[in-house]
Amino acid sequence: MDYQAIRAAVENPLLTAFNSLTPPVPVYFDNITAAPKNTTTEYVRVNVTFGITNEPTLTGSVDFARGAVVIRVFTEKGRGPARNQTLVNTAVTALETLNDTEKTNSGVFFRVGEIDGPSFMSDETSPHFMSRVSTGYTATVLS
Amino acid sequence: MAKRDIQFLVRDLEALTIQGAAEAAVEIMNALVKAGPGYTGDFSSSWYTIAPGKSAGGPRNSSGLYNYTLRNVPKTKFKTTGVYSIVNTSPYAAQAMDLVPYTKPLPDQEIPERVVTTKDITTGKRDEGATRGEVSGSGKATSTAPADWWFTFGRGGGLSSSLAKGFKRGFKQPLRFGKARGFG
Repeated sequence: MDYQAIRAAVENPLLTAFNSLTPPVPVYFDNITAAPKNTTTEYVRVNVTFGITNEPTLTGSVDFARGAVVIRVFTEKGRGPARNQTLVNTAVTALETLNDTEKTNSGVFFRVGEIDGPSFMSDETSPHFMSRVSTGYTATVLS
Repeated sequence: MAKRDIQFLVRDLEALTIQGAAEAAVEIMNALVKAGPGYTGDFSSSWYTIAPGKSAGGPRNSSGLYNYTLRNVPKTKFKTTGVYSIVNTSPYAAQAMDLVPYTKPLPDQEIPERVVTTKDITTGKRDEGATRGEVSGSGKATSTAPADWWFTFGRGGGLSSSLAKGFKRGFKQPLRFGKARGFG
């Protein structure tokens, strides 16, 4: 099972989408320490997790994994939800686009399920307004 | 070979379904204990399967990670039609499930020094506004379950797998019939 290819299948489009914004918005993935303490700079955290691997499927494919993608968007607190929602929109659009890719003979066939959220929150300890969108995925390694 | 009159089919299916649901609830709650965080056992002992309109209790007495059995989901609970929920009633459940940012406990809310976990402990730095499981790099923050384990359990196949396993076990067990029920 090529977990790295599965991770890349969802992380790369998200990274590209946020890097294409003006100005680009930093994206932090798993095992990377995020923004410096007390910064008000906006950023995005993406957590790609793995659930069950090689669950028997109707197609007989064994290189098959399920998991979740959780995206948290941090923007400056006290400035309303607009900027945060704009960034959430970028994330959701990138996820939706994943489902438009065609199945090929090699690589990873990646599909996300329904998207939960966005939900918004802020707390007194953080200088950020935070939102969260999450979805489950199925991925098949084809090659 | 055991035989049974067809007139009992609906009743038997109903009983098997209840048996399957109870077994599935046990399987799911134990899988949640395995997947989720656990230091003292309090969070692990706070899972409840509740019928529609019913309320759950608080943490049970536990000297470690809790092990659920059918005693925790008596069949009498499964008499109401509707959606059953599995909930955690721990006061810090939302943090434990990574649904809200981690909040450092106040001095009077510190977890007592009775760490009983058998889980792997990740240590590192937890950024401001990060969730319980978002620990990386070097630091003194700790985590006993990966970030977003709850959502991963629900969407990553853990829930459906536990549900199927529990129901299968429930359906495989023989029904206990009374004397006058025509089991011949």
